[in-house]
Amino acid sequence: MSFKEEMLCSNSHEYVVKDGNAYTIGLTDYAIEQLGDIVFLELPSVGDSFGKGETFANIESVKAASEIYMPIAGEIIEVNEELVDAPEKLNEDCYEGGWLVKISSNSYQQDSEDLMTYDDYKAELE
Amino acid sequence: MVKQTYLCNKHIALNAKMVDFAGWYMPVQYTSIIEEHKTVRENVGLFDVSHMGEVFVFGKDATQFLNSIVPQNIDKLEYEKAVYCQLPKENGGLIDDLIIYKLGIESYLVICNASRVEDDVNWFSINKKDYDVSIDNQSHNYSLLAIQGPKAIDLMRKMGYQYENQKSFTIKPAVIEGIKLLASRTGYTGEDGFELLFENKYAQYLWDKILEQGEEFGIKPIGLGARDTLRLEAGLHLYGNDLDENTTSVEAGLSWSVPKDKQADYNGKSVIMEQLSNGVSKKLIGLEMLDRNIPRHGYDIYYNGEKIGTVTSGCVSPSTGKNIAMGYVKNLPEICTDTTVQIMIREKLHDAKIVKRPFIQKRNRV
Repeated sequence: MSFKEEMLCSNSHEYVVKDGNAYTIGLTDYAIEQLGDIVFLELPSVGDSFGKGETFANIESVKAASEIYMPIAGEIIEVNEELVDAPEKLNEDCYEGGWLVKISSNSYQQDSEDLMTYDDYKAELE
Repeated sequence: MVKQTYLCNKHIALNAKMVDFAGWYMPVQYTSIIEEHKTVRENVGLFDVSHMGEVFVFGKDATQFLNSIVPQNIDKLEYEKAVYCQLPKENGGLIDDLIIYKLGIESYLVICNASRVEDDVNWFSINKKDYDVSIDNQSHNYSLLAIQGPKAIDLMRKMGYQYENQKSFTIKPAVIEGIKLLASRTGYTGEDGFELLFENKYAQYLWDKILEQGEEFGIKPIGLGARDTLRLEAGLHLYGNDLDENTTSVEAGLSWSVPKDKQADYNGKSVIMEQLSNGVSKKLIGLEMLDRNIPRHGYDIYYNGEKIGTVTSGCVSPSTGKNIAMGYVKNLPEICTDTTVQIMIREKLHDAKIVKRPFIQKRNRV
């Protein structure tokens, strides 16, 4: 299955993809397109824990600053440091190379109940 | 009801991201703010700025009337010349900032900010008193296009522009691509360029023609997003952010546009003269961040742990990659160029250095 087929999306435009025992979290291409040129990204540290819906990162385009929320609860186990130095890469790829953090979580089942498949998410936007 | 310019369908066809700006449905970007910004710095860009207000002021006392409401010496303004000025209230607070063009004997064009046209016209009416003057708000009948960038002159020449040597801050009746219009060598980007004013019915034709003729010069349509980063790099104020009814021309660092020798009285003159002599309690400064954080409108400025002011405009400078801002701070002697202050961003203080404006070197102007 492709990345997009595997991921679940939130109303606030984050995605989560199960990756072995971990979960990869990022922002959808729709969110990136709406933001425009990405110029700043602030990610949490490994070991930080967040509840579902909590702000874990900040992103800014030329025009505006936005918060990024946890689609499911969990603890940060890996951060995409390369993106912090070159946030403009998100404009090219926000999936395979443009994920934000990887987390461990034991509440995926319940937290993912209100998340949508990419197709449903896209349909919701229209 | 949100207003549309006569070019709205063109913007939508170009896939522009549209936003409500000052009551107008306007393009904020077509492709990318950074790309559009660089197009204007390196080549030439086309802006639909038809949301701006156009008010014609004419009649026997037009000069005297305008001279009584702005700090600039309108009685010294020469034919076809333009002047940047502010519109102060009695207490010096600003209703708007304007460009006034002298079109003829006792005949002027006033360009106002879109969000302020009605307030400006009201203010003109209140101050009309016994002056023999007509105030004709023609904003709804005219479109305004800005052609900005180092190649603007090449494009204008190609389109049949007759006055190659037209000076900066002048306006001339001209014929471009067969259309009679007013061409002024002004803009809001820090680049050389022109602003073309004409009747709405020509808007679609001229928009297409300019993009077609400009292709060889790398022209692109430019949205309000890049307009904002371009003007901020150039150190130009935006009414509503950097200027409002609580700031005066002197506090805003616009004393250069307030002649000290003006004889005639005007609204706010006593406050402005008093501030010029005795100084001001707050002042506008330029800021450059010392880390990657981006200063934004409304963020607080600190010095030695004390709040001393607020950011009024801020962005990433696409030309330099630096994060820049303007803001008002307490006018203390130690708060000067090269002083390090802090900006509160997401509940943390981040260092910024006070720098001179503009943030980029001014281009050669004609």
